[in-house]
Amino acid sequence: MGKQARNASRQVRHAGAVAAQRGRRLRLLTGAGAVVIVGLLVAIVVSLVNAAGSSTPDRAGPQKPVVPPATATANGAVAVGSATAPVKVEVYLDYMCPYCGRFERANGGELERLVAEGTVRLELYPLSFLDKASGGTRYSTRTANAVATVADRAPDKVLAFNNALFARQPAEGTAGLPDDEIAALARSAGVSADVAKLFTDGVFEPWVAASTEAVLETGVSSTPTVKINGKVFQGDLFTVGPLTQAVAAATGR
Amino acid sequence: MLTRLHGVRHSNAWIFGTMLLSAGLSLAASFVLSVDAWRLAANPGTDLSCDINAVISCGTVGSSWQAQLFGFPTAFLGLMAEPVVITIAVASLSGVRFPRWFMFTAQVVYTIGVVLAYWLFYQSMFVIGALCPWCLLVTASTTLVFATLTHVNIRDGNLPLPPRAQSALRSAVDADLDATVVTIWLLALVLAVVLRYGSALFG
Repeated sequence: MGKQARNASRQVRHAGAVAAQRGRRLRLLTGAGAVVIVGLLVAIVVSLVNAAGSSTPDRAGPQKPVVPPATATANGAVAVGSATAPVKVEVYLDYMCPYCGRFERANGGELERLVAEGTVRLELYPLSFLDKASGGTRYSTRTANAVATVADRAPDKVLAFNNALFARQPAEGTAGLPDDEIAALARSAGVSADVAKLFTDGVFEPWVAASTEAVLETGVSSTPTVKINGKVFQGDLFTVGPLTQAVAAATGR
Repeated sequence: MLTRLHGVRHSNAWIFGTMLLSAGLSLAASFVLSVDAWRLAANPGTDLSCDINAVISCGTVGSSWQAQLFGFPTAFLGLMAEPVVITIAVASLSGVRFPRWFMFTAQVVYTIGVVLAYWLFYQSMFVIGALCPWCLLVTASTTLVFATLTHVNIRDGNLPLPPRAQSALRSAVDADLDATVVTIWLLALVLAVVLRYGSALFG
């Protein structure tokens, strides 16, 4: 055998060894990959089962009783203004919903005026469906519970507090305001310290959850939704005027 | 059976067929997102409400700065890039072979696109806190296009790599490791979505 031939065969053998080693490594990687795939599949199934389990209404543990605030309506709203006012305006809102903030900035003043002059009985539905959009701090529930507490203990401050909450509305998807800032906003709206410190008890949280459920079943599918005497207002919600005119028209009838 | 499957997976018909389908899906999703962005711009009052039942609640993904990264709707990039991929896929299916530099450029540009798609996905999931189904479709199909493009470029030696790396990657692709990687990648995506939005999906 010549030198060249020997070299060539050594090279072939060397290449063969490299290929075999590489083959082993690849088989090992494929095996590891298969294990990871199985692990991921299991994790997906487990978290799907968990998610399905946690969203069923009858979750484990004792439920807190549903306590409605003193001024609550049977449908799950807090009522503001004279019970004999000719026009009933219902507003479905979530304190995390940016468009509800825009609605309040446009029409909050008008509604306050119409309530004050006795034309409108306002029913606010503070909902909690945007809880998922506050990074786990349940901002919608915390604020709705605070408003319900004010409606229970200091009903004449509800509109001012509602306005203050929207004036300091956090961006959707952020953690929202901490509890003490919500209480401070209530204080600035004229709510007494004794009432504001009840917010963290969460007494009305079950009521908020229950009325959010109830509202969903009535077919309201987005916020802000505004109803005048029970009929959905279809006009422009974000400028001053159309809503006032619609209320005036409803008074005429 | 397994070798047949292996053969099919490495055939041009399979690779470019998958590329064509994924690019088509990505284009469709980009189109929907672009129309949404255009409508939102034309009339900011189109859908100014927060949907109670939707995972994405208030249309805030569409109007966020992330969706307008370069001063125009980011979805427009999909409208520009995906037709090129579709052209490559269709031409390759009918037997055209592109020069190495062309395929390498396509790989570089598409890699940037994938990075952008994942950055947007991350932003919408963990920063904006809303998930839009069309964005998810873009993310998944972009991943598949990237995978097939990389597959074909490694198979045909289109990437300027040192010979050792090229031969290692080549044998990894021959051993179908790339399919394993893509499967893991997509499953991880699914897991992230389920973990973040599982309860909302069943809401």
